[in-house]
Amino acid sequence: MLQFDRSSETLPIMTDDEYAKFCAFFYRQTGIEYHDNKKYYVERRIVDRIAKTNSESFRDYFTMIRFQASGVEMQALVNLMTVNETYFFREDYQFDALVTGILPALVKGKRRGDPIRIWSIPCSSGEEPYSIAINILERWEQADSWDIEIHASDIDSRILAEARAGRFSARSVGRVSSALLSKYFTRKIADEYQICDALRGSIDFSLVNVIDPVQTRPFRNFDIIFCRNLLIYFDDVARRETVEMFYDCLAPAGYICLGHSESMSRMSSIFRPRKFKDVVVYQKPGPGEPLP
Amino acid sequence: MGLVKGPPPAAEAVPLAARDIDALLIDLVAPDSGVRRHAARDLGAHPDAAMALCDRLQAETSSSVRAVLLTSLIRRQSPAVAARLTTFLRSDDTPLRNAAIEALQEMPDAVAPYLQALLVDPDSDIRIFAVNIVATLRHRRAPEWLTVVIRSDAHVNVCAAAVDGLSEVGGPDALADLHALRHRFADNDFMEFAIDTAIRRIGQD
Amino acid sequence: MSRVEPFARNPNDGSKRVLVVDDGTTMRLFYRSVLEAAGFVVEEAANGVEGYEKALAQPFDLMIIDINMPKMDGYSMLRAIRADAAVRATPAVTISTEAGDKDVIKAFEAGANFYMVKPVATRELTEIACLITGARPQ
Repeated sequence: MLQFDRSSETLPIMTDDEYAKFCAFFYRQTGIEYHDNKKYYVERRIVDRIAKTNSESFRDYFTMIRFQASGVEMQALVNLMTVNETYFFREDYQFDALVTGILPALVKGKRRGDPIRIWSIPCSSGEEPYSIAINILERWEQADSWDIEIHASDIDSRILAEARAGRFSARSVGRVSSALLSKYFTRKIADEYQICDALRGSIDFSLVNVIDPVQTRPFRNFDIIFCRNLLIYFDDVARRETVEMFYDCLAPAGYICLGHSESMSRMSSIFRPRKFKDVVVYQKPGPGEPLP
Repeated sequence: MGLVKGPPPAAEAVPLAARDIDALLIDLVAPDSGVRRHAARDLGAHPDAAMALCDRLQAETSSSVRAVLLTSLIRRQSPAVAARLTTFLRSDDTPLRNAAIEALQEMPDAVAPYLQALLVDPDSDIRIFAVNIVATLRHRRAPEWLTVVIRSDAHVNVCAAAVDGLSEVGGPDALADLHALRHRFADNDFMEFAIDTAIRRIGQD
Repeated sequence: MSRVEPFARNPNDGSKRVLVVDDGTTMRLFYRSVLEAAGFVVEEAANGVEGYEKALAQPFDLMIIDINMPKMDGYSMLRAIRADAAVRATPAVTISTEAGDKDVIKAFEAGANFYMVKPVATRELTEIACLITGARPQ
């Protein structure tokens, strides 16, 4: 059979109406909105998947993602549309909201001596939990008045070993100011920054598969869960199960922070949206509070 | 004060009792919503518990428990579960009704045998719900079923819902019926808009 | 969507802002086309949870809310909004296929300011939106 590389075919492969139809479907499924100015971005990625799946046309491919029972191709497309990488202070508007809004609101409901418990999952190579730690220490004036526990988990033991070791590339720390670099890191070799032992020693790293209820059951009474850019890669049922599991991991009135392209509105209605600064996060109802 | 290393959450602290189905069914009606949630989740692993989960769904008032019940039912989907969920479409309880629609949308093979009857139900609200289920179903025959609706249903909102579905999944086969529908509901702004949109999105072959 | 995005179309000219919450793609598109033609700025949400999120994220002059939606229905969304000090004052019109007295009563009890029955005519929609927001018909 004659094979040719469709990815080099000239755009457009879809009409404006097909683009609108695709966007409406993708929005319903994921909550991600693409406007007309994103057509090139979206189309490039669809062309790529059309080639990889040997689809005949956009119509053919759309039928596949729309009706495929396994949902595998839809996931592959979502992965391609939402490529993620990890680095220090990624999506830092969330850390802003954490120190200026979430933590101050949280401690209003706490007594002196209660710990504040934060869970970063998946923590990948550690950039997120360390970023949380640095933001709290540097920017929350009440940091010294509370015992703050940061727990960090990932399913991948190799990446967890990297997180524990705490050695990062220049690219990974690219958004860290030189003042903070010299305060919290030591430069080992040209392209390697070692996070200081005090931070390394203050975070509890653990191997956890988020969809295994036996593994997550000990994780209880968290005040804040960061689960960013993971659920977007799950199918609908796994996504529901995971956020419902988080509900039980949270203390009453605890918060979940999701990634920038993830909408709780496509997963569950058991949390209440709350706005802090420029961020919408999700809160478990407090004791005696009705659900939304 | 400041950052402290918390003790690793220990599995021993919360023993996971291997509970049998009878113990879980008792927990499913416990006064504490957390206990009911755990029972609803764990019963998702028991094929024999599906009808008990449906019973609980009908009575449950806590939305966090209801959410877990639905997830377990989607996991345990079967024609029997789908049949039971379709009865909730007639409920006056709006969240229950919509939860049933949402769950049924996730079980295409299980719900398919019941759709024909729902799509011709005497109650137009039930027909609208059925069309809403079909419109997002991952089922190859969905476009065909929606086309039959716009050809034969007399109710404007049922047809409008079907046209909305066809604008996403419809193929050229639906075009003639879409054009014909225009004459059945002339002078209806939304229907005209919906038909134009669907025809445009289906495109020409 | 965890970050609050600025309005996709924001003329900043004093146009009134409407949030339409409906799980029907064509229905949202219809509201958008009618209301934009009348000079409104329109944002969309596909269910009650997203509607609540968007209502929190940005101020609106009017919400148009469908009743039967996945994840969170229109009554539940309205009740949540009316109980939330951050957004409780935003006027709301519910639009439903259900036209019985008890449906209307439920909508008002949940906090609706007005109730319309589908299918809604272009002119009726524009007039109600102008009346409630104080916008001048264009």
